[in-house]
Amino acid sequence: MSFSATTQINGKTAIISIAGELDAASAPAFRQEIEQAAAANPEHLVLEMSELEYMASAGLRVLIFAKQKMGVNVDVYVVAAQEMVLETLEKTGFDQSVIIADRYDTAVTA
Amino acid sequence: MQSLTVPGKLDSLKPIADFVITASAQVGLDKKAAYKLRLAVDEIATNIILYGYEEAGCEGDIIISAVVDDQQLEIVLEDDAILYDPQQTQAIETAELQRPLAERQMGGLGVYLAIQGVDQFRYERAGNRNRNIFNVKRARASRDCI
Repeated sequence: MSFSATTQINGKTAIISIAGELDAASAPAFRQEIEQAAAANPEHLVLEMSELEYMASAGLRVLIFAKQKMGVNVDVYVVAAQEMVLETLEKTGFDQSVIIADRYDTAVTA
Repeated sequence: MQSLTVPGKLDSLKPIADFVITASAQVGLDKKAAYKLRLAVDEIATNIILYGYEEAGCEGDIIISAVVDDQQLEIVLEDDAILYDPQQTQAIETAELQRPLAERQMGGLGVYLAIQGVDQFRYERAGNRNRNIFNVKRARASRDCI
């Protein structure tokens, strides 16, 4: 399945839903969505990943870019990531810098 | 042995991935092992394309092949780009993996995931060609039970 990303801005929250396969060929499209979302100066960045089947290090580099572009005070939520995507985030220590959650609403109120 | 030749361009990542997924299915690798092998091959192929060919201003092909025996699946990536040994790139250290993202360097993650993702990874330079070799043992589940 090819990669797709859609962005929705709700007040101070930017929600980007990413789906398909995120590799070096598709990472620029993801980065573009991040740049667009950053322009709205959100306080929360929610990455909805339930349909993301694959993520290479090119995707990890976009997450680094997001954190560095939006600033350390922006909370990044990784929501509903599939098992192997989650394993990559854990193995590389990214789970220490983002908030991993099954659902965004419960993550915020928890 | 099966093999496939593709141009050293980012568009080729998809056929390379499909090749690995098909080979993994043929030898019955479990879902996790198959994903990690695909990731490993994808990361090294990306480096060959971006650094070996594009950044060096060269064009060329990547040949991917699969060799199967009773014990393992071996995937080989072969290219004639500039000399590039992933094992000689700066190894990512544990301290770097614990650093907050805001302070992270961009490099090194792909090679780290590649080496971690397979049972054995090795690099060979043969004449003007780079060979990156990935080995994954078959029947991992039964071995883990012993």
